[in-house]
Amino acid sequence: MPSALRAWRAARVTPLGELHTPPRMTAALVRLAVQVVLVASLWRGLYAATGTTAGLDREQAVTYAVLAVLATRVRELDQYSGRDTVLQHMHFGTIVYWYLRPLPPQRYYALRALGEQIYGFAWAIVGYAVCVAAGVVQQPKSAAVAGVFMVSLLLGQWVLYYIMLAIDQLCFFTLRNGAAMLILIFAQNLLSGVYAPLWFFPDWFITLSGFLPFQATLSVPLSLYVGRIELSDAGAQLAIQAAWVVVLALLTRLVWRRAARRVISQGG
Amino acid sequence: MSSPKPWFSLKPWRTVWRITKLNFRSQLEYRSEFLMMIAIGAIWQVSVIVFATVLLTRFAGMGGWESADVLLIAAIRMLAHGLFVLFLGRVHGLSRHIQEGVIDTYLVRPMPVYRQLQLQYFPTNAIGDLTVAAGLMVGALTRSELDWTAGRITYLIICVLGGMLLEAALFTVVACAALRFPAADYWSRWLEELLGTFGSYPLNVLPKAVGGFLTFALPLAFVAYFPAAVLTGHGHDTGVPYWLAAASPLLGAVAYLGTRLLWRWSLRHYTGVNG
Repeated sequence: MPSALRAWRAARVTPLGELHTPPRMTAALVRLAVQVVLVASLWRGLYAATGTTAGLDREQAVTYAVLAVLATRVRELDQYSGRDTVLQHMHFGTIVYWYLRPLPPQRYYALRALGEQIYGFAWAIVGYAVCVAAGVVQQPKSAAVAGVFMVSLLLGQWVLYYIMLAIDQLCFFTLRNGAAMLILIFAQNLLSGVYAPLWFFPDWFITLSGFLPFQATLSVPLSLYVGRIELSDAGAQLAIQAAWVVVLALLTRLVWRRAARRVISQGG
Repeated sequence: MSSPKPWFSLKPWRTVWRITKLNFRSQLEYRSEFLMMIAIGAIWQVSVIVFATVLLTRFAGMGGWESADVLLIAAIRMLAHGLFVLFLGRVHGLSRHIQEGVIDTYLVRPMPVYRQLQLQYFPTNAIGDLTVAAGLMVGALTRSELDWTAGRITYLIICVLGGMLLEAALFTVVACAALRFPAADYWSRWLEELLGTFGSYPLNVLPKAVGGFLTFALPLAFVAYFPAAVLTGHGHDTGVPYWLAAASPLLGAVAYLGTRLLWRWSLRHYTGVNG
C-alpha cells in the first residue's frame, strides 16, 4: 500500500469516528458554545470594576480566555469511547497489535494525532470566526502579529503533541498510571494558562512555569495574539518553543525504543 | 411459617462495609498509585483555591462579595463534592461499565445495581479532595466575620449534605441517560467541568441570562452559591425568592430521591449491548 494512502487512513481514524457519531458532535458544539459564553461573561463580570490588571485590559483578557477555550478543542477527541488510548491497550493487552502492523507504532500514533489535531483545528477555526463576528474576540493588531501567532500556535501544538505522547508513554512503564496521567494533564492545563492567563499569577509561579514546557503550548501564542508579549520579544519566545520541540522529540524517541522492549505478546 | 421481614436490617450495611474494606485494601496493592490518587484529589482542589486566590487578589471582590464570603462558596462546593466523590461518585463512570458489559453482571447479582456500582472500587482521590476541602472550610470560617451560632453551623452542615445530594442527582440523571446512550459520558465530563469552574463563585457576576441558565436549566447555583448567600446575608440579592435560596438543601434531597426513581425506571428499560 502506498505510504501516503496508509498515512491518510491512519490519520482519519479518530475524525471518522466523530463524524459517524452525530450526537457526540452536537454535544461538542453545545458544550463549546456554552463554555465560550460562560467564560466571556465571567471575565467581563470580573473586569466590571477594574481597568488594566497584570498588563491585560478587559478585551485582552476576554480574548485570551475565549481563545484558550477554543484551543482546548484541538486535542479533545474522545479516543476513550473508541477504545484506542494507550492506557486501554495496555489494560486489555491489545497494545501488542500496534507492534504487529506494517506501520510502526510511533508513526501510527503521530498520524492519528495529526488527524485529530487537524479535525480539532477545524472546530477551533469555525468557533474563532463566529467569536470574531460576534465581537467576543478581538482581531490581531497587525498582519505581523497574526503571522507570528500562527507560527507560535503551530509550535505550541507540536510541543503539546509531545507532552501528550510523553503522558501516554508512561503507560508502558507503570501498571497503574491513571493518577500520574491526571496529574500531568492537570499540570498542562494550569501551567499553560487554560484556567487563567499566567500573567495573573504570582511572580514565582511565572518564573517556575518558564522552566517547564507547558507555557509554550498555549500561553505564548495567546499572549502574542493579545499583545501581552510584544513583537520585539517574539523571536526569543519562538526560539524557546522550537527548543522544547527538539528536546521533547529526542526524549520521546528514546522512550519509544525503551517502551518497545517492554511489550510482550500474549503467551510470551 | 416464616417470620415477617424486619423493616430495617443492618445486614446489607455490614456487607457494604466489608466490601468497602476489601476495596480499600485492594487500592493499597499499588502503593505509589494509592498515594498519587490522594495527591490528584488534593491538587485538583488546590487549583480551585489558586484560581480563586488569583482572582481575589487581582480584582476588587466579586459581584459585591467579600473575599471571605467567596471562599465560603468555594468551601461548601468543595466539601459537598468531596463527600459526593466518597459516597456516591462511582455513578460517574457508568458508561464505561456499560461499554465493557459489566452492568449485565450486576443485573444478575442479589444486590441493587446502584449499590453495586457505588461499591465498585474505593475512591482514594476523595481522601485528597476532602483534606483540601476541610482545610479550605477552616480557612473560610476563620476569615469570616459572621457569628457562627449553633443554628448557622447546623444549616451549613445541612447545606453541604444537600450540595452532595444535588451533585449526585445531576450525575445520576446523566447515568440514566447513559443506560440508553453510552455516549452520554461526554455530558458527564462537561458537567464536572461546569461544576468545578462556575460552582465556586457568586453567579451574580455573570449576566442575568447566564445566571438564570445556571439556576433553572442546570441547578448549579443551589449547590453552594445560594446556601452561602443565605449564610452571609446576600440571600435577597440572588435573583430568586429568599425562601427558594434557603431551601437549597431540601431541593438537593428531593432531586436525589427523584433521580433514584428515574434510575429504577431507566434500569427496567435497559436492554444491553446484546439486546
